Parts: sequence; C-alpha cells; structure tokens
Amino acid sequence: METIIILLTGFLFTCGFYLLLRRNITRLLVGILFISQAANLVILVLPGLGSGVSPIIQEGQTAPPPGYPDPLPQALILTAIVIGFGVIAFALVLLKNAYRDLGTDDLDSLKNTDV
Amino acid sequence: MEGFLIGLAAVAFGSLFWPVIAKRNSVWAGWCSAMVPLGIFLWLLTQGGAIGAGSFPKWSVEWVPQLGVTLGFRLDGVGLLLSLLVTGIGSLILIYGGGYLKGSPQAPPFFAFVHLFMLAMLGIASSDNLLLLFVFWELTSLASYLLIGLSHQESAARKAALRALLVTSAGGLALLAGILLLGAEAGTYSLVALQNSGDLIRNSSLYLAIFILVVLGAFSKSAQAPLHFWLPDAMAAPTPVSAYLHSATMVKAGVFLLAKFLPILGGTEIWHDVLTTTGAVTMLLGGLLALAQVDLKRLLAYSTMSALGTLVMLLGLGTELAIKAAMVFLVVHALYKAPLFMIAGVVDKAVGTRNITLLQGLGRPMPMLAFAAALAAFSMSGLPPFVGFIGKELLYEAQLNATSYAVFITVLGFAANAINVTVALKVGISPFRRRGTIPEINPKARKPALLTGPLLLALAGALFGLFPNLLGHGVIDMAVRDIVQRPIESHLKLWHGLNLLLVLSGVTVVVGVLLYLFQNRIRAGMHLLLERVPTASKTFDAGVQGMVSVAASVTRFFQHGNLRLYIAVVIVSLSAIITASLVSTGWSGPPQGGPMRLVPLGISLLTVFSGIAAIRSRSTVMAVLAMGGVGYGVALLFALFGAPDLALTQVLVETLTLVLFSLVMRALPPIESQTRSSGRRRITDFLIALAGGLAITATLLAVRGAPIPEAQRISTEMAARSLPEANGKNIVNVILVDFRAFDTMGEICVLAIAAIGVAGLLLGSGRRNLKAELVIATPLFRTAVSWLTPLLLFLSVFILFRGHNEPGGGFIGGLVAGSGLLLRRMGNADHPFHAPRTPLLFIGTGIAVAVLSTLPSIFLSEVFMKGVWVGALWLPLVGITKFGTPFLFDIGVYLVVIGVCLLILTRLIRSETPKSLSFP
Amino acid sequence: MFDLMNPFPLYLCLLIPLGAAIVQIFLLGQSKAQRVVAVGSTALLTAFSFALVAAVKAHGPVILDVGGWAAPVGIRLRADMLSALMVAITGVIGFCGAIHGLAEVPISDERRGYHPLYQFLLFGVCGSFLTNDLFNLYVWFEVMLLSSFVLLAQGGSKSQLEGTVKYMVLNIVASTVFLIGAGIIYASLGTLNFADIALRISQGQGSVTGIRLAGVFLMLAFAVKAGLFPLYAWLPSSYHTPRYTVSAVFAGLLTKVGVYALIRTFGSTFSAHQSFTLPILWWVALLTMVIGVLGAASQFHVRRILSFHIISQIGYMALGLALGTAGAISATIFYVIHHIVVKSNLFLAASVIDRIGGGEDLRRTGGLYRAAPWLAVLFLIPALSLGGIPPLSGFWAKLALLEAIFGVHAWFAAGIALAVGILTLFSMTKIWAEAFWKERPENAGERRPIHAAHVIPMVILTGITLLISFYPTWLFELADIASRQLLIP
Repeated sequence: METIIILLTGFLFTCGFYLLLRRNITRLLVGILFISQAANLVILVLPGLGSGVSPIIQEGQTAPPPGYPDPLPQALILTAIVIGFGVIAFALVLLKNAYRDLGTDDLDSLKNTDV
Repeated sequence: MEGFLIGLAAVAFGSLFWPVIAKRNSVWAGWCSAMVPLGIFLWLLTQGGAIGAGSFPKWSVEWVPQLGVTLGFRLDGVGLLLSLLVTGIGSLILIYGGGYLKGSPQAPPFFAFVHLFMLAMLGIASSDNLLLLFVFWELTSLASYLLIGLSHQESAARKAALRALLVTSAGGLALLAGILLLGAEAGTYSLVALQNSGDLIRNSSLYLAIFILVVLGAFSKSAQAPLHFWLPDAMAAPTPVSAYLHSATMVKAGVFLLAKFLPILGGTEIWHDVLTTTGAVTMLLGGLLALAQVDLKRLLAYSTMSALGTLVMLLGLGTELAIKAAMVFLVVHALYKAPLFMIAGVVDKAVGTRNITLLQGLGRPMPMLAFAAALAAFSMSGLPPFVGFIGKELLYEAQLNATSYAVFITVLGFAANAINVTVALKVGISPFRRRGTIPEINPKARKPALLTGPLLLALAGALFGLFPNLLGHGVIDMAVRDIVQRPIESHLKLWHGLNLLLVLSGVTVVVGVLLYLFQNRIRAGMHLLLERVPTASKTFDAGVQGMVSVAASVTRFFQHGNLRLYIAVVIVSLSAIITASLVSTGWSGPPQGGPMRLVPLGISLLTVFSGIAAIRSRSTVMAVLAMGGVGYGVALLFALFGAPDLALTQVLVETLTLVLFSLVMRALPPIESQTRSSGRRRITDFLIALAGGLAITATLLAVRGAPIPEAQRISTEMAARSLPEANGKNIVNVILVDFRAFDTMGEICVLAIAAIGVAGLLLGSGRRNLKAELVIATPLFRTAVSWLTPLLLFLSVFILFRGHNEPGGGFIGGLVAGSGLLLRRMGNADHPFHAPRTPLLFIGTGIAVAVLSTLPSIFLSEVFMKGVWVGALWLPLVGITKFGTPFLFDIGVYLVVIGVCLLILTRLIRSETPKSLSFP
Repeated sequence: MFDLMNPFPLYLCLLIPLGAAIVQIFLLGQSKAQRVVAVGSTALLTAFSFALVAAVKAHGPVILDVGGWAAPVGIRLRADMLSALMVAITGVIGFCGAIHGLAEVPISDERRGYHPLYQFLLFGVCGSFLTNDLFNLYVWFEVMLLSSFVLLAQGGSKSQLEGTVKYMVLNIVASTVFLIGAGIIYASLGTLNFADIALRISQGQGSVTGIRLAGVFLMLAFAVKAGLFPLYAWLPSSYHTPRYTVSAVFAGLLTKVGVYALIRTFGSTFSAHQSFTLPILWWVALLTMVIGVLGAASQFHVRRILSFHIISQIGYMALGLALGTAGAISATIFYVIHHIVVKSNLFLAASVIDRIGGGEDLRRTGGLYRAAPWLAVLFLIPALSLGGIPPLSGFWAKLALLEAIFGVHAWFAAGIALAVGILTLFSMTKIWAEAFWKERPENAGERRPIHAAHVIPMVILTGITLLISFYPTWLFELADIASRQLLIP
C-alpha cells in the first residue's frame, strides 16, 4: 500500500512543480498547495501507514489497539497543515495585492526588482 | 622599547587629536605635531649604540593567540633606518603640510590620515610578527587611499585613490598568502625565527609559491613595473602627501620588506634573476617615462619609480656591496626627493602651475627656495660633494661587480642615472633660472613652514656628503649587517680616486645635461611613442572595466528576475543532489509496505485525476475544483489510514482555503485570459517537474526500503506514557498539547502572524467589490443562521473538550466556532456583532492564555510548560475529563483560531467602507 | 536546589519576545506605548541573552526540556555556546533595529501590526537558535519566515510586492523541502532530537541511504534560506525593497539562521555523513563567494551591493563549514558574528545615505563626506571591516578562515578567498567614493534630516565592531568553545 501512496505523492509533486513553473499567479498558488499536500503525505507514508485503526486508546485500555499507525507523524502533519494554511492565506492575499498594484498576473513580467 | 611604543601611542592619539587643532590653525598644528615624531627620531638615535652592539630593543605581548598574532616589536638596523626616515622626514612633512594646507578643508583629514600612516610605517619598521607587519602594511595602503582622495571632489583623485588601493591591497593579499604559507611551513610568524631558518624555507617545496607571493606584495607597494602605474596617478594627492608617502617612505616599504626577507628567501637563483631584472626594467622605464613629463610632480614620480627599480635591483644582486649601495641610496634618495617634492609644491603655490615649460625666473623672488632646490638637485645629479655622489659611486661599483649580467645592468644604470641628472636640472634648476619676466609670487608661498623642510633635508644631503661616515659608520652599517646577517665594516668615501667609477660619473652628468638641452625634442618623441603603446595604466583600467562588465553579465545571467526559472533551478538542484546521493549509497532494499487496500487505492486514483485536471485546466474554476479534489482526497486518505484528527483538520482547512481562494480569485483575472507559454517551454517545464517528481519518488521508495523499526521510535514511548503521565487517550492530541506543545505554540504564532499580515494587506486597499455578493441577507438565511451559529458554537466547545481523548481539540473546535461566527456575520452585515478589534483580542488573548498555561508548572514543578492537572469533571456528552494546563493551552489555541478566522475572513468579505474601518 | 535558575535566561530569551508580541497586539493603535515596549523588550532580550552566554561559558550548555518531557520524547531547548552567541547577537540587532524603527517606521505600518510582527520575528529567530529538535526548528523557521513576509511587504510599494512574491515563493518551496527532510529523518531514525539523531547515526542505526537523503533535503532547504549558490535569487530580489530597519534586521539575522542550521546539522549532527555533504558544500561555497561578489561589483545601488555581499560572505561561512575542522568551524562562527554586526550597520548606513545624499542609487547621490563627516566614520569602519582591512573585525574573520584553509593545503580555495576579498573592497570603495567623496549631483533627491535614532544604532554596532577588532580574543575564545561543543556534543 505504501508504494501506491508513494507513487501518488511523487505524482502530486510532479503536478505541483509543473504548476509552480507556470506563468500564471493562480496556478502558482495551486502549485504551492499541491506540494504542501504532497509533503504532508510524505510524512504520513514514510514511517508506514498501519492497518487503519486510529492511535487512540480505547476505554479501559492502556495502549492503543494493535496495528495503530505512528501518532507522531500525524501530530507533525497537523502542525504542518495549520502552518501551511497560515502561509497560504497570506500568500493568497499578497498575490492578490501584487496583481492589483503591479497590474499583471504574468510572472514573466515581474522583473523589476532584480538586476 | 617602551619609549618607542609610547611614541607610537602618541602618534595614534595624534590622528584623533591634531585634526581638531588643525581645524582652527593648521600651521600651528603642523609645528606642534612635528614635535612627536621628532621626539621619536631623537629616541631612535639614542638606540643606535645598543643596536650596533647587537642588543635589539624588543617588546612583545599576545594579541590574538588563536591566530598566532603577537604584538611583537623588535628594532634592528634596517628597522632603525626606516624608522629614522619615517620620523625625521615625517616631522618636517607635518610642518610643511600645516603650512601648505593652511585654511583648506583638507587640513584636518590630512593630519588624521598622515598620523595614521606614520603609525603604520613605524609599525612596519618595528614589527617582528609577520601578521602584525601585515596589519600595518594594509594600514599604509588605506592611509594612502584616504590621502590620495583628499581632493575627493575631483573624479580623477577618486580614481587615482582607487587604483592605488586596488593595486597595493591586491599585492597585500598576495603578501598575506605568502605569510600564511611561511607560517604553515615554518610554524612561526616571527621574523627573527624565520630569518634563522632561511635554509628550511629555501629548501621547502613551497619556496617558489612563497617567493612569488611575497615579491608580488613588495613589488606592488614599491611600484615595480608593470605594477607601477598607480604611483604617478597618486600625484593627485596634495604635495605634502606625495613628498612623504609616494617618494620617501611608503614606497620604500616594499624595498624594506625585501630587505627583511633577503635572509629568508634570498640567495637563490630565482631571487637574483627576478629582482634584478624587474628592478632594472623598472629603473629604465621610470627614467624613460619621466622624459615625457611636463608636470613637476609626475616627473618626480617617474623618477621615484626609477629609483625604486634601482633599489630592488640592488637587493636582487644581493652582494654585500649591493646591499650597502641600496641602503645608502635609500637614504640619499629620500634626502633629495622629499625636498624636491616639497619645492615643487611651493612652486605650484607660488605661481599656480607645475608645468616645467612655463616655469622660470623663480630664483630672484625666492632665493632660499632656489638654494635648497639647487642643493637637492646637485645631490640628485650625483655631483660631489653631495651624498648623491657617494650613492652613485656605490651604485656603479655594485653594478660593475655584479656576478652576472654586469655590463647589461651597468648600461641600464648609466641610462637611468643620466636621466636623473636631467630630471634634477628640470626640477631643481630650470624653474629658478630667469628666461623672461619675473613672475608674480603668491604671498601664501612665503612661509617659514614651507621652507624649513626642503632646506633642512637638502642641507642634510650636503652634510652627509662631506662627512659620509656619520651615516656609514652608524645606521647604514647596522642595516647592512642585519640584512646580510654578518658583521661588516664599511667606509663611505667621497673621493675614491681617479678610476672607472669617476669617469662613469662624469660621463653620466654630461649625458644628462645633453638630455636636458634636447628635452623638447625628446619629449615630443616620447609622446608619439606613448600614444602607440598600450600603457599599464590603460591596461589596468580596461581590466577593471572588463571585470565589471563580466560581473554585470554574470549577474544578469543568474539574477535574471524570472521567478519561474529560479524555482526551476531549485527543483533541478534538488533532483541532481538526490541522484548523487542515491548513486553514492545505492538502494537499501525493496520498499516495505502493508497489504494493498482497495478503497485507498480508489481514492488515490481520484486524487490523481484531480491532479491531471489541475495541470490541464485552462480555467480558474477547473483549477480550484481540482485543487479541492486533491485536498479532500488527501483528507479521505488520512481518514482511511487511521488519522481522524488529520482528516477533520484537513477537511476544515481545505474548505477554508477554498473559500479564501474563491474570494481572492474574484479579484484576479481568470486563467483563461492569459497567454500560455510556448509548447516547447511547456515541455521543458514538464520535464523539469518530472525530474523533481521522480527524484522525490525514488527518495521515498529508497527510504521505505529500510525504515526504522517501530520499537525504536520515540513515538512508542509517547504511546506508552500518554495515558498514565499525560492523561490523554488521543495520543495525537496529547503530542500536540503536551509532548510537543512547543510546536503548537509556534503554530498559533504563525496563525496570528498570518492574520495580522492579511489584515494589514487588506487595510485601506480601497476595494469594496465583495460586499454585494457575500452578504446574504435573505430572511431565510438569517433565520437559519440564528439557529446554526449557536449550534456550531456549542459543537465547537464540545469538540474542544473531548479533544484530549477523542478526535478533536482546540484547533478543530476553533475552526468550527469561527465558521459559525462567520455565517452569522454574512447573514447580518448591517449590524456587525463585533468591533473590528475583536478578532485581534481573540488572538492576543489566545496566545496569552497559551503562554500563561505554561506558567503554573514553573512555580509548581520548576519545569517550563509541564502539564499540571487539577482534577477531573464529568461533563455531559463528553464524559469524565481531567482538567489541567494542557487543556488551558488548548483553549488558547481555540481562541487564536477563532480570532484568525474572523480576522482573515471578515477582512476579505467586509462590507464597511475602508474609511470607517480602523485597524485594529 | 532550585533548578530553575540554570535555564532561567534561556527561558526568558524566548518568553521576552513572545510576551512582547502579545503585549504589542493588545497595544495596537497606541503607538507611543508600542514603541516603548519595542525598545524595552529588545533591551531586556539583549540583557538576558548576554546572561545566557555567561551562563553557558560558566557551566556549559543550558538545557530545558519543554513540558518536563525529557528528550527525545519531548522538545528539548538547548543553548550551547553557538546558540547563546546567536541569540545574543539577535538581541543586539533587535535592539538596534527597534531604535532605528523609531525614526523610520510610519504610523501606517504600526497600525498594520508592525510591532507585534517585529517581536514575532525575533521570537522565531531565537526559537530557531535555541531548539534542539528538527521539527521544532521547522516551526520556528516558519514563524520567522511568515513574519518576514509580512514585514517585507509592509509599505506596499510595487517593488516591495514584487520582491516579497519572489522571496515568499522560493522560501515556501524551501520550507516544503525542509519538511520532507524532517519526515525522512523520522522515518529513518525514529527521532527528531538533534543529539539523539547524532547518537543514533553514530551507533549505526537507520539506513545510510535514508540518512544521507535526509541530509540532501535539509542541505537544500538550508542552502536556500542561507542564500547559497545557485539558490540565493530571492535575496537580491527583495532585500533592497523594504524599510531600512526591516532590511537591516533581515540582512543581519535571517540568512544567518540558514547558516546556523547548516552548521548545526552538517557541522555537528550529521558529521558522520560529511564525506558526501562537505565536498558539495565546498564547491557551492566557492561559487557563492565568486558569484556574489561579482553581483556586488556590478551594482550601483547601495542596498543591492550590500545584498550581493551577503551572498558572497555566506560563501565564506559555508567554506569554513565545508572544511569541517574545529578551527574552521570556530572561524566560521567568528565570521558569522562579525558579519551580522557589520552588515546590519551598513544597511542602516544605507538609510542615512538615502536621507542625506538624496537616494540609494550611487549615480544620484553624494556629498556625505562633507555633509556629515562623523557619519562617514560610522560608515567607513564597517565598510572597511567588510572589506577585510586590518585590524578590523572582518580581517580577523578572514584570517582565521584563511589559516584554516592553509592548514589543509587547499590552495585553490585560498586563492579564491583572497581574490574575492579584493573585489569586496572594490565594491565597498565604490559606495564610499560615490556616496561620500563625490559631490552631491544635481539629480540627487531631496535631502532629509536625520535623527538621533538613525545614528544611535550605528554607534552601538560600530562600537561592537571596534571591540571585536581590537580585542578579538574574547570572541575567538567563545567561538572555540562553541565549535568544541558542536564537535563533541
């Protein structure tokens, strides 16, 4: 199963990278979202996916059910999702403003602050 | 030695103090400040006996022991000679400079930098530690830069200063490299120690490198061809500076260095060949170029270059005789060149020109100056009974006695000397002869301060000529001894008898006079020649220009401004090093994995379709839908792989992101409207993306080949300690609010920052285009909302409370509450239920609560952020819940998330006019 | 024994900026109070960061296990000498930036949350330096980055927006790469704590393939943040656009967080895999030095020149790291501290050049030498220090590095390092000659007055530079301690 998810992850990275390389600001944003999602999948899949039960200790037990997936990556991903959301929210509005003030959503025409 | 160091300190302090005085009265500053170097000069004279007897004044203290830098000073004969020159001429220059720059804004910086320079030169003369010597060495370059740039309004002066700095500090860096190599080879930076291990260095495999580097440093400083060109340009400096730095002292530093290194590096064939050849060429070239000049100072500068060539050549010959000749000539040159420079400055001040074809008749109005000029010129011409004569005799003697190429060297030396005679006549005699009307003299040029220096130095030249052993038995002997490293006995004589040397001297003068008489034709010829040859100066400028334009094109190549290419570079770099890494380690085994499950496989396929749709989409709507498809697909996968918290969060965040996206997309033009990249570009991009994707896939498969066994992971311990020690059954939540609560602290900060940032970006943007669409003020909606909002709020509290044991928690609860409040907001635009400030208060309070929740543990258990549990409560729907600071922490998260939702979304959909809104 | 006194300064170095950020949120709209808090809190931070350095010097690394969960289960904060030094310099730069901000940051920015963001930025930077946990480092990176995005865009000029877009996108990509790296580390080694990672690697746990791949991702991510060739493009696109206060703080601190992370991971944690990473870093460092300084040589705009210099000098630091010897790492740490002080100072000087000279474009500014000779001194000292003129701090930094390079007989690198030095000097004198020596040209902008708040930070930073210049031993001692602690964790 892990191999399938790895292939899916790699595919999402490919899509994300391709979108990052587009001229259009909107697609750039979608690209950013894609690679963040894919990175989250990386953290999930690498330590192994478990058998499908949740890492929650049932009533009366002291340990989670057998075959539980590693809870730590889940916590890391949760943090990463939230951080990613903050970043995306800001990026969205920044790019909106950039379009408004620079008058273009074509990344190829943003060449005024370099050499 | 302490006396010397006090002197150094006084000079250093002087560079801060005298400028202040000079601002009021520079003449006064000149006379007073001259007393300090004069004092050092006298102190140095008292040390002569001790140094002569072989007991060298020493002083040493650690400075930067880590780097082997010691404040180690040691004054030997050569150092004494240089120090005497620096302080003796220095004090006269201070007097002269004070008078010369009277009333000029250049006076204060002149005093500052000249003292800095003097300090540096004395440091060079007395350092025993090579790195310390280098410190002073670079300081002289810096002082020279600042002094040449005193007339900084003129672009020529700025350019000249830069040239001098670049050449000398490039040379300096070569020297530094040489020093470091020496240190690496011999294990010490002490000059004395190195001088005692000369054989070790000469036999080292690094000898050649050390030699080249050190010699490059010395040559650049002492203006050896082809690094000479900065020296004539340096004449842009005020004349006192030229007289001091660029004739008498700084340019001698290179020669001094070679003299110091002679026992370490000298005596080899390459030393002999390189120094002799370069010196001879420089000697001749300087002379020839001097013939082309009409400007007094440039004329003198080229003749200085010629003299420096002579010195280097003599050091190259390396015989005792040659060293003696070099040391004598060093003094001789300083004694005539410095006064001639000063005289040139006075002449310039008197009549406002330095053009030798215009100058004449100054002898009558300025007799004392003319007298001094004549003395200096005679000495320069090598006429008896001046010290210059002795110098020239010794020179010829050394050249004739050279072990190889004696004839060649002597002929070149002869030419240079003859030119010297010409230059002396042009500078010291010609301006004072009367050929027309007597010119008007600017009274500013008649100052005792301006006359003292030239006169004293010129007289000294005559005095030493008459009593040569004042010099010879004293400092020259010691200097030569400390260079050749054995005791010597020298007799300087004015009269050697009638021999070949005298004949040569005589012929030299005759030829020199002839050259003087035909000067106009020679000059015209030289000009014609120089126009056709590429000069070193032009070559250097072209080099700098070339470097700058190469730099510009390289920079444009890498910093092209195209964001897409920047990203492509990152992806390609990543793929490249992943490949390299995989090649270097090989595969660790086939990827391990659990059994295939159909539902996740199906979801994965759906996600893939969404991805393809996103790539192929030519419309905004499609792109956003595809994005949602991927996001929800991933959420489903989370749910299927036992991560309910993640799935919940992902769904909520994805929804929120989609809402944000669609709000923002209204302000952006649709994708459809944009020109596409060319087909070729799309293929290239696709290949780059594919390379990146494949590289990452390969990485993941390789890592899955050998994941660490679960038992060895830290999460195993977390799972075991979650319930007994952290009172939570939902391990993910426990990790978030307890084991790794510090991550969560950062996470809510990120949210707060994002919210503040978004609000700031949207503040006063002047756009209100979102109002009409998004306020859904239908009665039905309002009714629905009036039920829905409290329900959602209640639900959110429920989620918050159960979070520690079941899926849920502060973040998810906050999102639910936030969307409830938002709905209400959308349904009720006219009566906002909260002030604009409220979201920020939520955020601030939330973070504060989270921080405060960490405090009790500090007082109770002396640990930062440790969970403190106060008891358990039975709650409806939730069950028994234990309360403690981690829970408080989660409440903080909850509040922040509510605030963030409100702040970001209300800003985006707000309906108020910007003016009535203030942030906060 | 009350065990709290030991980690107390460490704790405060995080609590002060965080607490200040909270207070600044509540104080939004009350500009005066905010300014007092800004200066006061950074002064406090500086004081306690110095106390932290003293504590580390006296008793060795200071450790704080957050939540009482001993590492590696919990997140461990650990201030060894390197961290403590970095936090101390953060305090100083933060303080100077806060003062300069008084004279520069307009009310409109303050209303947009400038003050809390500034504190969050410092919090993120300090957090990055103090954490001993890989994923936690990611979190602080993000705190720092997001606040830097916002601060960079504040003011809203077109060039700022454009600069921020590039800065942001490239850094987001790098953060994603970082995240993947952290994921690989956890999957391969089962831990996130630096010391634990190092321990497990040295015990031979985990697959070499996985560990090395993780190193690749982390190296790339940190290389982007540090501004190494060829991944530095975001830096010259953006650093010359925002307010001077902001760019001075960024120029001093942000890339150095990347350098710090490189040192932390590849100088210490991953030292078992140096045979793969260090040669790459070596060549990258040399290229960075050269390409950066060529950029500086080709520019005519003060902050653009300075931005390219940052890159070039990051190359020096990376070279020291790539050498990998204790002496080289110690030299690198010395270099970092020297560089931060000097670089921030020069960016502040750019502000003064802009105000007095009438612009930042060297072709349209001038006359500062005559107009403000003492400012000329305040510029010249850091400028020459950057150019490596002895005996200023930059010379010692370069000398230490060169001795390390010569020590391993790396002649080629030594030659490059020396040649780059000349070009550095060349471009610094360009600023000096054009802005200070040259007369004010006709087309220069309007001259604006300067306030004490513009000058005070420059005086402080120049003072520190002089202290390091004439008495470098103390810093070398601290750097030696730091490098020893790194190599023997």
